[in-house]
Amino acid sequence: MIALAGIESCKTLAEFLANLIPGGVVFGLVEKDTFVWVKSSDSFTLDFIKVGNKLSDDTTTMEAIREKKVLIKNIPRTVYGMRVSMVSIPVIDDNGDAVGAFSIAFPKLHPVAAAFGNFAPILAEMFHEGSFLYMSDLTKIAYAQPSQKFDMPSISVGYELREADIAYRVIHSKQPIIEEIDASKYGDPLSIANYPLYDDENENIVATLGIVTPKKTAVALREMSDNLESSLEGIAAAIEQLSASATEIHSNEGALNTDINEIINISEKINEVSAFIKEIADETKMLGLNAAIEAARAGDAGRGFGVVAEEIRNLSAQSKSTVPKIKELTDTIKRKVDEASRKSNLSLDASQGQAAAVEEVSASIEEITSMSSELSNIAKTL
Amino acid sequence: MSIMQLVVFRLGDEEYGIEIGFAQEIIRIPELITKIPDMPLYVEGLIDIRGKVIPIIDLKKRFGYEKTERSMDSRLLILDFESDLLGIIVDDVSEVIKVEEQAIEKLSAEISSLGGNRIQGIAHIDERLILLLNGSKLKTEVLKN
Repeated sequence: MIALAGIESCKTLAEFLANLIPGGVVFGLVEKDTFVWVKSSDSFTLDFIKVGNKLSDDTTTMEAIREKKVLIKNIPRTVYGMRVSMVSIPVIDDNGDAVGAFSIAFPKLHPVAAAFGNFAPILAEMFHEGSFLYMSDLTKIAYAQPSQKFDMPSISVGYELREADIAYRVIHSKQPIIEEIDASKYGDPLSIANYPLYDDENENIVATLGIVTPKKTAVALREMSDNLESSLEGIAAAIEQLSASATEIHSNEGALNTDINEIINISEKINEVSAFIKEIADETKMLGLNAAIEAARAGDAGRGFGVVAEEIRNLSAQSKSTVPKIKELTDTIKRKVDEASRKSNLSLDASQGQAAAVEEVSASIEEITSMSSELSNIAKTL
Repeated sequence: MSIMQLVVFRLGDEEYGIEIGFAQEIIRIPELITKIPDMPLYVEGLIDIRGKVIPIIDLKKRFGYEKTERSMDSRLLILDFESDLLGIIVDDVSEVIKVEEQAIEKLSAEISSLGGNRIQGIAHIDERLILLLNGSKLKTEVLKN
């Protein structure tokens, strides 16, 4: 406590100290219940500490006077619009009665808020798409720091927090929140992280610190990798189809080869039939010749029979002449079929080559697909 | 103008003819031919036709052809020399033709005798030359050494 006699020394001291205390200070001298002298530092004033202002009974200062005790109290923001630490020292006269008080008010500032101006401009520039840093108290934005590349003009100092705002939700949930917001709200996709800040005793949330980073690159990358993935799925499906048709070509060519071999067998059989015709023709010819001999031996009586014999021989000659024609036809068939078989084998080889190539492509696609999903995973972590 | 009928057959590239009256029948060469020991090479052996035993000779071997292999068309021509039958193996009996006797050119006696009198003439038909065997002498000519 301060003796009445020492008041002048305190005032003198206060005049000097006012602009030396970091963060600022307000000194005030109360007589009974009214400020009679006030000294503020240049950077900090409090409206209610003014010469002539009367204090109500429930103030810290009045309590200190009543109890004749030095009181140090933190005054919440709701009282003066900002958090204030109040020190009230009763002034005691010669009789030991408290006749007033010497009050010292310090702005109570969270260390992060105090340093905001120092770290925020640097930190804001450290993100490659830029960033926007802000601090809120319990109701509104208190500090804002845009970067060269990125700003949020709609969020400026004094902006009243709304229920949907992340800072508001952090204050009420007492949990840090990290959220991604798509482009529909602010024009760009954003990532917003907001942390609650507690006062010295770590009991009450007094502020939040938020950092907003645009996610254009990451989102573009994610979209691209999604596109890539769906394109690859399309390609993979097409490849599968291609592979299926290659297999079908392969089996068709196999069937074609079987058919061709059957045709070869059939033309062999035609040749067998033709050989049989030749045999019959030979037999008929011999029969005709023998008939002619027989007719000649019979002399005149055999003349008619001789004509028949000649007809038989002619018939035989005609039948026999079909044999080389048939042979020629079957040879042609065989040649054509051989050609077809050769071509079919070429197609078979080609389709095998195709199937192998498709398999290779398919393997490459698989590799690319796995790379793409890795890329997608990386994009998701950005 | 008399017409004669010839049975025409081939030996190698040559065509031979024999008067049809000497022919009895044409058959395929039987698989079973009974060999007779110690015979000239051209004697193939004996066969049985409808109960008659017939000696067989290979006419190409007998006529001194170098190539004597047989083909699918090789036939056995059975000749009838009155009471005796003789089978000759030929390369295909091709036809029975009628020729006018004027179309047959006689060989001179000198030439004919060089060939053992086997050929009595040449039937000249279009561009074909058919060697006409002398049927009546063939048996004795062929069977003598």
